[in-house]
Amino acid sequence: MVHQLSAPEVWLERYGNVLYRFALARVRDGYVAEDLVQETLLAALKAKDNYAGKAAEQTWLVGILRHKIVDHYRKQASDKTQAFDETMLPNLDNGLFDSDGAWEASAVSSWSKPEQLLEQTQFVAAMQTCLDRLPERMAQLFVLREVEGLDSEDICQMLNISTLNNFWVIMSRTRALLRQCLHQQGFTRD
Amino acid sequence: MLTCKQASQLASKALDAKLTFRERMALGSHLLMCKLCRDYRQDLRLLRQGFKRIDTQDRLLSDSARLSEQSKQRIAEKLHQQTQDTETK
Repeated sequence: MVHQLSAPEVWLERYGNVLYRFALARVRDGYVAEDLVQETLLAALKAKDNYAGKAAEQTWLVGILRHKIVDHYRKQASDKTQAFDETMLPNLDNGLFDSDGAWEASAVSSWSKPEQLLEQTQFVAAMQTCLDRLPERMAQLFVLREVEGLDSEDICQMLNISTLNNFWVIMSRTRALLRQCLHQQGFTRD
Repeated sequence: MLTCKQASQLASKALDAKLTFRERMALGSHLLMCKLCRDYRQDLRLLRQGFKRIDTQDRLLSDSARLSEQSKQRIAEKLHQQTQDTETK
């Protein structure tokens, strides 16, 4: 199926909020998100003659926005002189492991009925809440890896992470934190 | 013998890279004996599925956030400006 583009004037009305939400979930700052939407629509306007009609209009616009977001992450990381590594993370093992490296009792409950859990809108809301509570660069790292599905090596370059080993350590802590946060949001094994 | 902390790191690393033989053995034998870490590994997989699904259904921040009217106005003006620029060229 070949898709047709609608007139650029209707893009903003039709997709503005979708794009804005998509951006906001990934950059946290409303002004930055708004800028990204604007850049996306301007870029789309320039590129509209090259639109091949392979993707639906919204998918095409979201695709452009994804690139803009990644550019934004990259720029942010390059603005920071310090590389993103383990030493920048808050001490997150508190509350997760004791001094012997064993799980703390408060960290151990797990989720029941996972399939049903994923269907719940409250669970999706909780995932968003927990993502927002992470330090910003951790959240970016996680989104690039788990939501955008990018390669670890590419993410290291983008976010100025010096070694893959650092990447794994940060990812591990991020996942542990998210899980702990979801537990605190009430999603526990009953 | 791995600690739970080390095992949790390997369980996470396994989602991003291929573990070495030695790492697989170490993690495997820890998991055999440790239910908490088996639960943890299962939860990590669930986290991954959950966030994948969010993307495909585009439900991250659903409904609540919207562009304000002023923001729309600003963007519309920019778009209009650029349309005119390209037409006059």
